[in-house]
Amino acid sequence: MSFDAERDAAALERLSALVDGELDAEAAAQACGDWRERGEARAGWHAYHLIGDVLRSDDLAVDPSRDLVFLQALRVRLQDEPVVLAPQPLPVPARQAPAFAGNGSTGRRWNWIGTSAVAAGFVTVASVVMLTRGPTATIDTSPAATLAQGAAVAQPASLQMSPNAAASEPQALVANGALIRDARLDRYLAAHKQFAGSTALGVPSAFLRNATAYQSER
Amino acid sequence: MNPDVDAPLIERVKAGDVKAFEMLVVKYRRRIERLIGRMVRDVDLVPDIAQETFIRAYRAIPQFRGESAFYTWLYRIAVNTAKKQLMELKRDPLVTESARASRDDDEDNTSRVENELTDGETPDAVLASKQIASAVNFAIEALSDDLRQAITLREIEGFSYEEIAELMNCPIGTVRSRIFRAREAIATRLRPLLDTRDGERW
Repeated sequence: MSFDAERDAAALERLSALVDGELDAEAAAQACGDWRERGEARAGWHAYHLIGDVLRSDDLAVDPSRDLVFLQALRVRLQDEPVVLAPQPLPVPARQAPAFAGNGSTGRRWNWIGTSAVAAGFVTVASVVMLTRGPTATIDTSPAATLAQGAAVAQPASLQMSPNAAASEPQALVANGALIRDARLDRYLAAHKQFAGSTALGVPSAFLRNATAYQSER
Repeated sequence: MNPDVDAPLIERVKAGDVKAFEMLVVKYRRRIERLIGRMVRDVDLVPDIAQETFIRAYRAIPQFRGESAFYTWLYRIAVNTAKKQLMELKRDPLVTESARASRDDDEDNTSRVENELTDGETPDAVLASKQIASAVNFAIEALSDDLRQAITLREIEGFSYEEIAELMNCPIGTVRSRIFRAREAIATRLRPLLDTRDGERW
């Protein structure tokens, strides 16, 4: 906890600017780090906002000890929540790859294949995560666990891929005490397996070849 | 429209920083509880509904696109959460006229309503509230003119640093420093009131 007065003041001034939304992303990250690690920073953040509230309205001058009690109770609940990971905008590439610049149709086809390969990669990773995730796995708050929870939504579909899934099964059954399978859904997925296969493996389908030929004729 | 002052923190939350969300909670808890206190008759329900509001906001924050101010978005979640809780409990909501009038306002309406005592209403809480208000007002009066003007332009008028720099005819860095020094001067007077309860510290 050796934080000299100068650094302390700099950290508090940074928080004061963050109160007013006047920090760039990098400085805001530093201020969040101060909040995480230093009680003085947390007390300062609380006091600055309380001051602003009281200046704007006397009926916001509430007993300040309740703020900390409320936060401590909320922290307990937040621990049970999966960590938020919102999709971030992709960085725009600086320029197109020169190989595709003068060759429109070929470039488009390779772009399609590239996209399919990325999709196939994601499906593979999601499947591995699903297969390695046991039914009794406890909920973790790490980013990886959050992704796994997202992928787990697809778990019923992966079960349908089992070769033992036959039409002679009963109309519905309960697996793992919670999952309800519908025989109609089994038949639907089995009928569409052949279409899913070629795209997932990254081989261009007849539809994509036709699209390319059509565009090159123009 | 000015960019949302909470945008840097929201970006951090979206990138997985839960602590940045705690900072937003500390910022908005008082306003959210006041709002809920205007809608429900039972003051014991207020903290629970406020907690549920923040949990829902945390879950939904990936869908927050910044089309409105964060507080406007949070305000709507609080109103919906309070309504839902009241329906579940089959209690009659008590909605005051001023709360109904301000429900669709973008910014918090700071009008006084009759139920000022939404904060537990214990004598200790009432006393603490009065002490806080008088300490802040006393500290503001004791500030130098420059510091008082800077923090007033920011906190009451809502000007940006750039606008305050123009109004006070000084560099933006000076505005930032004056506002910080004003806050610290007031916080120093508040600290005895903030630290002593139950020995709990931030």
